[in-house]
Amino acid sequence: MDAKRNMAKEPQPREGGTSQMEGLDLESVIERARGHDAEAMGEIYRRYVRRVFGLCRYMLDSRESAEDATSEVFLKLQRSIESYDRSIPFPRWLLRIAGNQCIDALRRRQRGRRAIVEVEDGAAVIEAASSEPSPLGAVISKEDRAKVRDTIARLPDNYRVPLVLRYYSELSYDEIAQQLDLERNNVAALIFRAKQELRRRLPHRSK
Amino acid sequence: MECYSEQTCALAVDGELAGDEAQRLRDHLTTCQRCRALVDALRAENRVLSESLNELPEEAASPASFSPRRWSWGWGDLAILAALLVLGSIVSGWFNELDIPAALESFNPFSVSGRTNLIFNSFYYFAHGGTAMLADYAAVVGWICLLLLLAGSALLVGRRGRPHYPGLRLLIVLLALSLPSFALERRHGEFVTVTANETVDDTLVAAANMVRVDGVVNGDLLTFGRTVEVRGTVKGDLISFAQRTEVSGTVEGHIYTFSRTLDFEGQLGHSIYGLVQSLHIDDRGRVGDGIVVAVGDISLEGEVKRSVNIVTGGSADVSGTIGRDLTMVGRSLTLTNTARVGGNLSARVRQLKEVHIAEGATIGGKRDIQVRVRESSFTRPRFYFHQAVWLAGGILVGWLGMLVFPGFFQATTQLVGSGWLSLGLGVGVLAGVPVAIVVIAITLVGLPLSLMLVALYLAAIYLAKIWVGAFLGRILLKPSGATKGDWLLGLLVGLFILTIVGFIPYLGGLVRLGVICLGLGAFAGQLYRASRPVM
Repeated sequence: MDAKRNMAKEPQPREGGTSQMEGLDLESVIERARGHDAEAMGEIYRRYVRRVFGLCRYMLDSRESAEDATSEVFLKLQRSIESYDRSIPFPRWLLRIAGNQCIDALRRRQRGRRAIVEVEDGAAVIEAASSEPSPLGAVISKEDRAKVRDTIARLPDNYRVPLVLRYYSELSYDEIAQQLDLERNNVAALIFRAKQELRRRLPHRSK
Repeated sequence: MECYSEQTCALAVDGELAGDEAQRLRDHLTTCQRCRALVDALRAENRVLSESLNELPEEAASPASFSPRRWSWGWGDLAILAALLVLGSIVSGWFNELDIPAALESFNPFSVSGRTNLIFNSFYYFAHGGTAMLADYAAVVGWICLLLLLAGSALLVGRRGRPHYPGLRLLIVLLALSLPSFALERRHGEFVTVTANETVDDTLVAAANMVRVDGVVNGDLLTFGRTVEVRGTVKGDLISFAQRTEVSGTVEGHIYTFSRTLDFEGQLGHSIYGLVQSLHIDDRGRVGDGIVVAVGDISLEGEVKRSVNIVTGGSADVSGTIGRDLTMVGRSLTLTNTARVGGNLSARVRQLKEVHIAEGATIGGKRDIQVRVRESSFTRPRFYFHQAVWLAGGILVGWLGMLVFPGFFQATTQLVGSGWLSLGLGVGVLAGVPVAIVVIAITLVGLPLSLMLVALYLAAIYLAKIWVGAFLGRILLKPSGATKGDWLLGLLVGLFILTIVGFIPYLGGLVRLGVICLGLGAFAGQLYRASRPVM
C-alpha cells in the first residue's frame, strides 16, 4: 500500500529528459542501480529528489543545509543501494536514509546535545488535553495548507521532526523512535504535543 | 463505558494502537457519538497534515532547478572578495615600490627573504611552542600507528583475508614496515646535548630549543630546534629543521636542512640539500659531494668537491673552490680572486651588471652567463602550446576522475559552492596538512603514512582547480542535466577562465591561491562526508 501511495507521489519526470529509463518500472531501475548503473542512479535521483529534498527542507532550517543533505543522501545511496533488501517499499527506505541524514545534521548543529529530547513527563500529561475536535479538521484551501506548512516549519525541532517523520515520511512510531533514539511512548507524546502546539499557533479559523 | 482519551484516539487513528485495544475502541465508537466525532476530527487532521506536507513548498518545485547547485555566495560576498583583492594588490604594489631599509626587509611579506623569514618564524614558533610536546606527539602518533596496525590485522583475520578495501592491506604492510623504527632514541627538552664522551648508537630524534652534539651519533640525527649545533660526529645523515644550524664537526652522510641559516665549517661526506635563507660555507668547510639548495643568500668560501646548484633570491658569493660545475639562477653572482670553478660556470641573472667575476678567478670550463629578460611570455607560441597541454591534462584528469569516482567528483564540485566554508576549510587544510605531515613523520613509525599524506596533499592541490573549474563552468553554463558531458564541458569552460584570470598580475596569484583553498576545502569536506556511515 505504501508503495502504491508513494509511486503516486513521484515527481513527474523532467521535460527534456530523454532517458530510456523513464518508462521502466521502479523494480528494474533499482535492480540496475544495484549493478552500479550510473544511468539508473540518475533515474532514481530524478524520481525521488523532490521527495527527499522536501523531507530535508522540513527537517532542516535552511535551503542550503537541505540541499547539502539531499546531495549527501543520494551520495550515500550509491554506496548503500546494495543493502536494500525490499522488505519495505523503496521510497520509504530512501526517506529513512534521508531522515537519518537530517537527524545527524541536526545533532551536529547542536554539537552533540540531543536534538530531540524526551518530553519531561512522558505520556502522562496528555490526559489533560481537550477533547474538542481539532481546528484543522475541515477541508482546507491551498493557502491554508501553505500556512500549515509554514507553521510546522516554525515548530521547535522537538516537535517538528517527529511530526514530519510521521506525516511526510510516513514512518511508524517504532521507526521514528529508533531513528531518534527515543522510547516509543515519548514519540507518541511528542507527536501529540506537536499537534496541540500546531493548533495553538495556527490562527483560529471558523469551524 | 468511559470514553477514551484524545491521545488514545490519536494513537488509534495513526494505526499505533495494539490489536485488542484497537478492537475495544472500535466497539466503543459504535455506541459513543462523542468519541466518534473526535476520531473523525483527528483523522481529518492527519489528512490535512499529510496533504499540506506532501504539497511541497515552492522552492522544491523541480529537481531541474535544484540540481545545478546555486551559487551560495551573495553579491555581498563577491563585493567583499573584490575589495580584498583590490586592497591586496594595492598594498602589494605599494610594498614593492617602497624603499624598505635592509633591516626591515625581513618583515616585508612580499620579498623573497621576507617570505622565508615568515615561514621560518612560524615554523619556529610552532616547533618552539611544541618542543616539549613534540616528542610526546611523536610517541602518541607512533602508538596510534601501532594500534591501527593491530586493528587492521584483526580486521583482516576476521574477514579471513577478504578485505573490503584494497588500500587497507597496503596500509598495513606499510605500517608493518615502519615498526623497526621504534628503536629510535628520542630526546626532548629545553636543551638536548650529546656530550663529548657520549655515543648514541641509534638514530637520534632531538626536539629542543637548543640541540648540541659534541659526541658521536652512529645513526642519523633528526633535529627540531631553534639552534642546532654539530661539533662532534654524525655518522648518518643530518636532517635539521631549525632557525640556525651550525656544523663544525663531521657529518658523514648528507645534510638535509630547512633552516634560516646554515653555517658550515666542518667536514661533510656527501651533499647538502636544503631550503635555507642564508647559507655560509666557511673556508674550513669541506663538502664531499655537491650542493643543491634554494637560498636567499649564499657565500661559499670553503671547498666543494663536485657541482653546486643554486637557486637564489639574493646574491651568491663564491671565493672558495668548486670541483665541478657551478650553476646558479638568481639576482647576483660574485666570484672573487680566490674562486676556483673546475667545470662550467652557468648563470642566469636579471642584469649583466650583477655578475662580478674577479680577474684572478679561475674557471676550468665554459662560461655561460645569460640575462633573463622578462619578456612577455604571451608573445611566444610555445607558451600557448604549454597552456593548451595543461588544459588538456586538466580535462583528461577530470574525465578520468569522473569515470572512476563519478559520485565523489560531482559531490565535491557541488561542495565548492559552500563558498566561505570551503574556503576557510581549504586554508586550514593547506596550512595544517604540512604540519600534520611533519608531526607524523617525526615518529618515523608514521613515515610511510606521512609520505602517503604528501602524495594525497599534492594530488588534491592539483585537483582543486578541476573541482573549482567544473563548478565555475556549471554555474556559468547552467546545464539542464547533470550528465558527465555537461560536467566536462563545464570543466573546460571553467578551467579556461581560471587559466586566463591566473595571468592577471597580482590578482592572478591571489585567484590561484583562492582556487586551491576552495578546492582543497571541498575535497576535505567531501572526504569527511563520505567517511560517515550511511544508516
